[in-house]
Amino acid sequence: MLSVLIWGPILGAVLLACIPVRPAERTTRPLAMVIAGSLLVWSLWLLIGRFDLANGSGQFQESLAWISALGLNYSLGVDGLSLPLVVLNTLLTWVAIYSTPQSVLRPRLYHVLILLTSAGMTGALVAQNTLLFVLFYELELIPLYLLLAIWGGPRREYAAIKFLIYTALSGILILGAFLATTWLSGAPSFDLAVVSSYINRLAPATQLTLVVVLLLGFGIKAPLVPLHTWLPDAYGEASPPVAMMLGGVLAKLGTYGLVRFGLQLFPDAWTTLAPTLAIWGTVCVLFGALTAIAQKDIKRMVAYSSVGHMGYVLFACAVGTPLALTGAMGQMVAHGLILAILFHLVGVVELKVGTRELDVLNGLLNPLRGLPSISALLVLGGMASAGIPGMVGFVAEFLIFQGSYATFPLLTLLCVAGTGLTAVYFVILLNRTCFGKLDNATAYYPPVVWAEKAPALVLMGLILFLGLQPTWLVRWSEPTAIALGRPLTTATLPAPSSIATPS
Amino acid sequence: MAQLLSQTVWLIPVYALVGAILTALWFPGITRRTGPRPAGYLNALMSALALGHGLLAWPALWQRPALHLDFTWLQVAGLDLTLPVEISALSVGAIILICVINLLAQVYAIGYMEMDWGWGRLFSLLAFFEAGMCALVLCDSLFFSYIILEILTLATYLLIGFWFCQSLVVTGARDAFLTKRLGDLFLLMGVLALWPIAGTWDFTELAAWATSAAGREYALAHPTTLALVGLALIAGPMGKCAQFPFHLWLDEAMEGPIPSSVLRNSVVVAVGAWVLVKLEPVLALSPLAMQATVAIGAITALGGTLIALAQIDVKRTLSYPVSAYMGLVFVAVGTGQTQTALVLLLTHALAAALLMLTVGNFVWNNITQDVRAYGGLWARRPITGLCFLVGLAGLVALPPLGGFWALLDLIDGLWATRPWLVGLILVINGLAAFGQVRTFCLVFCGRPKPMTERSWELHWPFVLPTVVMAGFTLHLPLVLGYLGVLPTWAEVNTDLALLLVLSSMSGISLAALIYLSPAIPKPVAFPVPALQNLVAYDFYTPKLYRVTVVGLVDVISRLNNLVDQFLVDGAVNLVGLVTLWSGESLKYSSSGKFQLYILTMLLGLAGVALASFFLSH
Repeated sequence: MLSVLIWGPILGAVLLACIPVRPAERTTRPLAMVIAGSLLVWSLWLLIGRFDLANGSGQFQESLAWISALGLNYSLGVDGLSLPLVVLNTLLTWVAIYSTPQSVLRPRLYHVLILLTSAGMTGALVAQNTLLFVLFYELELIPLYLLLAIWGGPRREYAAIKFLIYTALSGILILGAFLATTWLSGAPSFDLAVVSSYINRLAPATQLTLVVVLLLGFGIKAPLVPLHTWLPDAYGEASPPVAMMLGGVLAKLGTYGLVRFGLQLFPDAWTTLAPTLAIWGTVCVLFGALTAIAQKDIKRMVAYSSVGHMGYVLFACAVGTPLALTGAMGQMVAHGLILAILFHLVGVVELKVGTRELDVLNGLLNPLRGLPSISALLVLGGMASAGIPGMVGFVAEFLIFQGSYATFPLLTLLCVAGTGLTAVYFVILLNRTCFGKLDNATAYYPPVVWAEKAPALVLMGLILFLGLQPTWLVRWSEPTAIALGRPLTTATLPAPSSIATPS
Repeated sequence: MAQLLSQTVWLIPVYALVGAILTALWFPGITRRTGPRPAGYLNALMSALALGHGLLAWPALWQRPALHLDFTWLQVAGLDLTLPVEISALSVGAIILICVINLLAQVYAIGYMEMDWGWGRLFSLLAFFEAGMCALVLCDSLFFSYIILEILTLATYLLIGFWFCQSLVVTGARDAFLTKRLGDLFLLMGVLALWPIAGTWDFTELAAWATSAAGREYALAHPTTLALVGLALIAGPMGKCAQFPFHLWLDEAMEGPIPSSVLRNSVVVAVGAWVLVKLEPVLALSPLAMQATVAIGAITALGGTLIALAQIDVKRTLSYPVSAYMGLVFVAVGTGQTQTALVLLLTHALAAALLMLTVGNFVWNNITQDVRAYGGLWARRPITGLCFLVGLAGLVALPPLGGFWALLDLIDGLWATRPWLVGLILVINGLAAFGQVRTFCLVFCGRPKPMTERSWELHWPFVLPTVVMAGFTLHLPLVLGYLGVLPTWAEVNTDLALLLVLSSMSGISLAALIYLSPAIPKPVAFPVPALQNLVAYDFYTPKLYRVTVVGLVDVISRLNNLVDQFLVDGAVNLVGLVTLWSGESLKYSSSGKFQLYILTMLLGLAGVALASFFLSH
């Protein structure tokens, strides 16, 4: 069942690649949309129809011996951590294809690469074998590099190479850590279940070293400060659909890896590092937000917002209580949706107005000559990112704060302050772009067509729905989070009997 | 029937919300087909529906125990977030007040918006505020109150930013959002910190915990923690109620349309105080928090009335007294007089709404908000003038109207414990009376000026809500009597009552003397220019902000950006450059001469041999 989500897009890509050039210009986009759409339906069916909510560990497991001499097996499975991300991936793939303009350059190659990226992403999420994970992790990198380097903005080559070097380095670090884990612990294969049962044979110092290497590897991907400098360039130069995929989904592999291979695989070493990681997460939150305030380019501003929001995830993983972990998993999905809508809207603004400069943009909320609906959605999207309740960002962040306060009160409060700083730069962004007086001399923007609004409307619908009905955000992750989470230290919580007894 | 209606009171916010959502759909596309007006009619209708529901449900709740309903919102990993709804005579009474003012403001807006196309946006936001405020007074949980306050912060941003083409509006919206958001985040910190202490966020349970032995024990054991939590909890209402030092946004918010100002000055600021009232039992555990509440309230009350004296924008002469009266509410809460606080909120809401409505009446067709350009409107605008007087009398302590009873109640409760506060409140009341009379004299008395030569009473959407609101203000003592909050004659402390009336009368007569007497040159100046500037420029608060918080964030973010660009990214680019440079320079070592290569290999081999030799020994 999971294989469909990996091989479906790969076969689809092969199919697209086989279409002769002439009809390809017209047929690839609808065809890619059909493929992505059916994958989305399939993943939704798994999510809603088949997934067992009571079971927090691996489901839909598939296992095939592949190169057993190496210990590399084709073993797949999902749990509450990976399944929402798998669905997010299929959803954003579809949205990315839908929001790609009809006139995209070299449509056949473009859609093939998007589908391959999606396949790599799903593969990495569902891989239950560490080597298989690395394989997919690297697989997704190549099409993405090309997507950046061919369809990006003016500085795309610099950005793409930077992205490639960083992510390849991250892949090497992760591969090294995985090899060392298996070889040093003497595990017979790289299967996650096997490796984790052998993990205690490693000396605590070795475990610690391996976790640090993994942290660096996944920290590049997430990204965490100071490993983030590929991000503003890559996000800034990528075309909006690619930025959507890159920021919305692929960066989630970083935080996903932190939970799966850090917290889950090395629970003891993770606990030792927890205070440091919590501080690191808080630094990311504040650093990302503060740097975003100083940006003059709205796309880079949105890009830096991502650094801050990933900081919350690291922070929550460091805390490791079930509630904080639920929040962290919720935040991955929430951030994926919010970042996708923001990149889409910023892309539309750039397309229509022709600039992303804060000092040039003005008055887009103007109902007649501006971009009123896009601006309205931008206001909502920015506010969702700033954590205004009623939208999905708040739910995830609140769960993180509530789950963390008992463990790290001061750092939690600093993270709360971080949401305040997030509000600051989004208000700057909205005030400059949406508010203000539209310059009548230049305001001859092409009309926004329905196809440009639709992706944002779909995403905004989801953001609002999950914000108002957060049960649908957390129900899949909750059992996994409880299984992964550290039991609460009872000393810090009030005994139930002392709670509010009416006198 | 009334029973059924009272059990379904939770529908009231839903009516308004439905109105807001339907109106939000009045896109320019639809507006082109229907014109903008249906959006307004639809919302006024929904408001009327909500008001009708509230009015019919109230009798079934009066002097009966409150109904409690629970709606589960989220249950996850041991956290149970259930929305408790408290349907009581008090909460439904507050809803009725909100709906009345909202309905009148919406009818008013139908006239006010005649020359504007943005009906959909304005009415949608007005209705959204109505829904939010009704939901806030119904919900019995600190957490959900926080959520609603935060959503209303966003709505404030959009409502103040209604005329977003003007630069003052843009900065006003920004400041309002950030100030309130700052307060909200402190509140969120308090919310988070309160959970491990009390284990609940329901106001009822919090009150029970705070008065229980467990609560008192905790207060004795951890006074610092409770004081910090208390201060964080106060910060939310401080932002909403525009208290020092979070007061500037209300002044800038006056750039927004008048119907929204009516709502904001009367009930929007009051919902912040409502949360404070609900939190009073928790705050009472920490003497420091209570003292801080009193101090903040007193400073704001005095400062607000003083600043109002030097404002030349007529809307701003009304906005600072709002801060001041909310300050008095803070004082009441800080001294444990929650019922007085609620009465004060009620009397202030009606009077403040009425004053803003009358101001809108003359600003709309005299075009200017500068009081110096006004004069001599009394003969031309008798209805407006009378209504302004009614609002003035309802606001300051003039018997028998509402403000008198609320303030009398307040100082009566303070007299025994804090006589100095009574003195302060008398001064504040006198100054408030002075300020309002000053506005009245400047606008309505004297000779007509160029801007006021041609001025006539407006059509019904303006006059009707104003007159109805004046009626409400005049009848408020009867309502208070019916509710049983008025003291009997025997209970009235006549000395205090006399002092209070004296303070109002001296403020009024002094203002009348100064502004009506031809002997004093106009415009009237303070005896000390520095003092006048201090007050007129709002104690230089904008500058204070700029050099403290705003400046700090600005500098840090720029520094951070420099670090990011040159240190973090620079290091990366340096590595890249070094790689390129070393490759470039190393390529000259490939000379193509066979001998050189052999020599290199030999040297390498020798090195390896030497290394292995030393390592093995």
